Amino acid sequence: MSAKVMPFAPQATMEMPILVVEDVVKRFDTPEGPLTAVDHMSFSVREGEFVSIIGPSGCGKSTLFSVLGGLVGGYEGKVTIEGQPIAGPHPAIGMVFQEDSTFPWRSVLDNVAFPLEIQGMSRADRYARARHFIAMVGLEGFEKRFPAELSGGMRQRVSIARTLAFQPKILLMDEPFGALDEQTRLLLGDKVLQIQQQLRQTMLLITHSISEAVQLSDRIVVMTYRPGRVKRIIDIDLPRPRSIDVVSSEAFGRYVAAIWSDLRDEASRGMNDAEARQRSSS
Amino acid sequence: MTDASLITSSRRLLSPVAALRIGIVAAVLGTWEIVAASGLLFRDVVPSLPAIGKALGQLLIDPVYYANLGVTVGELLGALAVGGGLGLAVGMVLGANAYLGKAFEEFLYYLGPTPKIIFFPVMLLWFGVDTGSKVAMGALSCFFPIAVSALSGMRQVDGVLIRVGRSFRASTWQMVTKIYLPAMRHPIVNGLRLGLGVAIIGTLLAETKMSNQGLGFLIIQTYTTFNMPRMYALLITLFLLAIGLNALIAWFSGGGAARKS
Ligand SMILES: Nc1ncnc2c1ncn2[C@@H]1O[C@H](COP(=O)(O)OP(=O)(O)OP(=O)(O)O)[C@@H](O)[C@H]1O
Ligand SMILES: [Mg+2]
Repeated sequence: MSAKVMPFAPQATMEMPILVVEDVVKRFDTPEGPLTAVDHMSFSVREGEFVSIIGPSGCGKSTLFSVLGGLVGGYEGKVTIEGQPIAGPHPAIGMVFQEDSTFPWRSVLDNVAFPLEIQGMSRADRYARARHFIAMVGLEGFEKRFPAELSGGMRQRVSIARTLAFQPKILLMDEPFGALDEQTRLLLGDKVLQIQQQLRQTMLLITHSISEAVQLSDRIVVMTYRPGRVKRIIDIDLPRPRSIDVVSSEAFGRYVAAIWSDLRDEASRGMNDAEARQRSSS
Repeated sequence: MTDASLITSSRRLLSPVAALRIGIVAAVLGTWEIVAASGLLFRDVVPSLPAIGKALGQLLIDPVYYANLGVTVGELLGALAVGGGLGLAVGMVLGANAYLGKAFEEFLYYLGPTPKIIFFPVMLLWFGVDTGSKVAMGALSCFFPIAVSALSGMRQVDGVLIRVGRSFRASTWQMVTKIYLPAMRHPIVNGLRLGLGVAIIGTLLAETKMSNQGLGFLIIQTYTTFNMPRMYALLITLFLLAIGLNALIAWFSGGGAARKS
């Protein structure tokens, strides 16, 4: 490879990003007029990288993911995957949604096997692969259960396993641990970290938890409150492979404090906004 | 045996609901028999229970009855297949397409409650006096409740499940068969049940108006020959047929509908 002998080669030739977001703007028509949910966002993600997106509630994180997943149209700017602009859902992208998204009429096994069934894989093959990923998220023994029989956190792990079974090059996860308590979050975060290191999976994670973002990420994209812009992109220089213990290190604390001060302004802007709206409506 | 165990064991034999049901049936039958014996109403309009029982016994060994039963059941299944299939398709298309939905939804609500029997002459002209027009009447009747249920069912499908299917790049056919239909199983089964009820009304009404076969025809025949016990026996078998078909629908949807949602 010539890249090795050219230390000052432009970044693009050294490490071609797998995902590039360029100047994306997404507006919604609302009864109160157009609302800019995502405003001129640009960033890129390299292969194998773990990037977290953090920002106050309502700042446009899920909207950004819908754009990346090809689930909404009508946006400005460009999203390219391995150099190709996307048009609709791309095979390289797998999504885990913020809401509970398990199919209530399918068992855990059939839920996880769903994307493979869509691809037309044979029954035996897809069940074998589904079992593998069910075990990976720690749900062995629950294959025959139905979502209604599981806890919220277990259902979320079913969704994660289902998207892992799809074996996407880029995994988008929208607050997969949103509804969980702090301890379970940390443990599941650790699980995700293991999975990421095991699969060298490129991941984008939306989260509200600063510590979760620092624990897991190579980089963190901090978003502003409405319109949702990139406020800052922070590189997390903590050693890898990481484990849950990284949480207690001094560097960890410094990162958390820095991100918190960035986010505090945005979050309070969001709160003031909500209060003002409440006042004007009452 | 102690008193307590007696109570629990009798409770297991007969739940309060079952006891009430049996009580109601017994009361109705008792009243019927008293009215029949009193001769208060015109003779034979209210035949005695043994007379109806005897007629029922004769009916059940009468090959003519089974021939006509077969005709009616066939018509009903045909009506459910045609009207239900079309209703499901139309409801789903209107539910999936906001523009078409807005344009045509009102028609479903206007035409739904219209008594379908007013279309019978048209059906006779289009499909003839034989079973064709009866199937058409049943299909026309069950189309509306099934289409309306499918339409509202479509709108209730959880949006995130649709996004899951799309992000895994399911084809339109896969979206329909693997996401929409299973997600809509409860409203569809309800629509089928409502549809079955009105299909029986539509088909039987058509049979009583103009035909030479089917249960509706038999009922009118017994009425014109004033064979009241046989008529009541026919009505009883019709009632049981409705229950049976309803159970069949429940059984068909059993796998999904019985599951905890
Ligand atoms: N389909 C839509 N139509 C109109 N407005 C929308 C739509 N989807 C999102 N919005 C608006 O866009 C803004 C961003 O929403 P989004 O769901 O992306 O926020 P978020 O950052 O994911 O919030 P949270 O952290 O609470 O999940 C919000 O103000 C929301 O009301
Ligand atoms: Mg969100």
